[in-house]
Amino acid sequence: MSQLNSSHTPQLVTSDGDIIPDGWTLLSDEDTTGVDGPYVLGFDRALRDLDGLNGHYGVRVNPADDVRLLLPFIEKITLIEVAFPGYRDGRGYSTARILREEGYTGAIRAVGDVLRDQLFHMLRCGFSEFLVKDSDPAGAITAAKTRFTTFYQGAADAKRPAWALRHNA
Amino acid sequence: MKLLTANRLTDGLTLWHTGTGWSEDAANAARLDDEQAETLLAEWKTRETEVVAPYLIPLTSDGNLVQREQVREFVRANGPTIGQTADALSQAHGRADIFES
Amino acid sequence: MYVYDSFDHTFVRERNAEFADQVARRLSGELSEDQFKPLRLMNGLYLQLHAYMLRIAVPYGVLSSKQVRKLAHIARTYDRDFGHFTTRQNLQFNWIKLADTPKILEELAEVEMHALQTSGNCIRNTTTDQFAGAARDEHTDPRPWAEVIRQWSSIHPEFTFLPRKFKIAITGATKDRAAIRVHDIGLHAKPEGFDVYVGGGMGRTPHLGHLIKSGLPGEQLLSYLEAALRVYNRYGRRDNIYKARIKILVSALGPEEYARQVEEEWNTLDKAKIDAPSAEIVRIQSFFPNPAFTDKAFDRVAFERAQLADAAFARWVKNNTHAHKRDDHVSVTISLKPVGLPPGDASSAQMDVMADVADQFAYGELRVSHEQNIILPHVAKTDLYDLYRQLDAVNLSTANGGKITDMIACPGLDYCALANARSIPLAQDISQRFADAELTDKIGDLQIKISGCINACGHHHVGHIGILGVDKQGIEFYQILLGGRADEKAALGQITGKGLSAEAVPAAIERVVQLYLKLRTDESERFIDALERLGRDTFAEALHEPA
Repeated sequence: MSQLNSSHTPQLVTSDGDIIPDGWTLLSDEDTTGVDGPYVLGFDRALRDLDGLNGHYGVRVNPADDVRLLLPFIEKITLIEVAFPGYRDGRGYSTARILREEGYTGAIRAVGDVLRDQLFHMLRCGFSEFLVKDSDPAGAITAAKTRFTTFYQGAADAKRPAWALRHNA
Repeated sequence: MKLLTANRLTDGLTLWHTGTGWSEDAANAARLDDEQAETLLAEWKTRETEVVAPYLIPLTSDGNLVQREQVREFVRANGPTIGQTADALSQAHGRADIFES
Repeated sequence: MYVYDSFDHTFVRERNAEFADQVARRLSGELSEDQFKPLRLMNGLYLQLHAYMLRIAVPYGVLSSKQVRKLAHIARTYDRDFGHFTTRQNLQFNWIKLADTPKILEELAEVEMHALQTSGNCIRNTTTDQFAGAARDEHTDPRPWAEVIRQWSSIHPEFTFLPRKFKIAITGATKDRAAIRVHDIGLHAKPEGFDVYVGGGMGRTPHLGHLIKSGLPGEQLLSYLEAALRVYNRYGRRDNIYKARIKILVSALGPEEYARQVEEEWNTLDKAKIDAPSAEIVRIQSFFPNPAFTDKAFDRVAFERAQLADAAFARWVKNNTHAHKRDDHVSVTISLKPVGLPPGDASSAQMDVMADVADQFAYGELRVSHEQNIILPHVAKTDLYDLYRQLDAVNLSTANGGKITDMIACPGLDYCALANARSIPLAQDISQRFADAELTDKIGDLQIKISGCINACGHHHVGHIGILGVDKQGIEFYQILLGGRADEKAALGQITGKGLSAEAVPAAIERVVQLYLKLRTDESERFIDALERLGRDTFAEALHEPA
């Protein structure tokens, strides 16, 4: 029996299929920011500290966090990590869509229980990076991007829904 | 004593462990002693390309199933009871030949 | 009915390829069962007590004769020669091989069908009035809107991992035959816009839906639904599977607060990106014209003579036809509730006959009702006797539409891995007890609904008499509910009396019914009316054997 995909060490892959190193450090709430950045702040800490911080940061958003609270500081954020503690928890999809609807253009990264079969949905919701558990992350991105050519809804990506193509709307 | 049951991955049919292999007929199910049953269960849990959802059905000393699972396991072993009346079936529930230890 | 264009065909083909790939990865061992399970469920494939069950979507219950023939073929080729029609207007096959599913889906795609989103925590098949487009009391045809929703909800990227499943029902008639107030979202399409009800449902914590919006323009339906689903996706509970449906969120927030949040979310959305333009709605509506009604004259004399000569036919006409918008047509209910047989089952041979009579007498169109019957929506009255005789030849002429033996029953513990008790044998026993057609006619309209567990697939909460199977220390027991109804006066039945054994249920129901016959003012007072007038307590005692 071949190895289960979920047992693969997660690798970071972009929506273009490039495997990239993770240069970010997730700070615990006690850690002080030093010279080893860039840093990913926890959600509550980001709300508390971002106002007084200079530079650019990442923020970790858990499923229950209301991402709209970050909007006042959005200029200082270049990475938002959306956590999927389990693949069944779909709140992160709404988080990403809201960010894109609000005009956020930085990276949105899916972390946690991220498997190849979710990538299609994540791409459509506006995610741009994926810490995916798969033997072939680049292949998984290609598969997710080529599996469907027809879409029934407008979402965060540039895909035109069937109704738009039907009516050239 | 316990029975080991599972479903075959490819067609989903209910299987019963005979002590040496699997049978689709519950009448061939082996009454396994607890230790053997646990060993077999642990083995088959890892053989996911062959069977799905293996589990043990405990038997009580009087040969009846543990109450909680009685009707479910009876139906699982005998197939849907459609066509028989509930009356007839409730009589049949007392029938324990498959599940006797 | 709606006809796929190249986009729809491509979509289903691509989706089937994805699922075929997932099946192959499972068979090779690349996917574990834990990983595969949510993927197969997203495609309606369950592992039940005896084998895999495949639930095939029948969008809003509408079928062509060609599709029914295909379903018969699948039953014959891949299953055990029969299928089971469900309360979600879908069809289930009970012994499907995993390895066969890609082939079956290919066959379904040939007739514009699929099994997409018939399970899983996503937006399920939208259900509607089985008489849509035909009923005399209809003001808005709900089918185009159900199709608009079907397309929008298909692999919706944001709403595929909701807290729990999500069911939408839609009606466009004065009488609610779609049970909209016991759905997550119930829509009443009216000429002036949609009434939106939210938070209805059955299961462990039954609720009736609350009206949160009126006059919603059809052109903005999708963006409003998107907002409603987003609020649910974000704030619906995920810590407890029994509290994860939207009804719990709506009752925790209060309907007004939920409505406010939806409105707020709706205002943030770029509606033009979500709402299909009017041209698309007009396009979809164009697929639901009236059939080319026959100009065969209705021979009233011959029709009445046939009824006088054949009492069984007369009874069938009385019980199994429904008022059509044209005087010379009716809608016909083909009962899948023959006395003593499992509710909702049809054999391959019966499906073939239904397809044939649909071509011959009903413009090729059929429906599945949530009561688990098959409907021929448009039949010329002049053809009724010929139709009846062909149905009668294959045991499809049971004249019990809406009567006590026209029961809803879930598959129960005979098939379902979740059930606590059996439903079908109980339905069989009850129908045997009321086998006398004259008696059932005398009793009149009475809906019995049976669920084998608290999940309420058998709609027991909204049966005039509801029956809920429970497991009491390994023994099947049945709780009786009285006073539920799913229509425009929707109400939830209340558990009445103590739980009964399977053997005791039919007699208990008979005592209740006899008491009703004794107490009713006259024949026009239906069971549910008498129950509401007299109160449940009046009938509670009759449930138990007199001491």
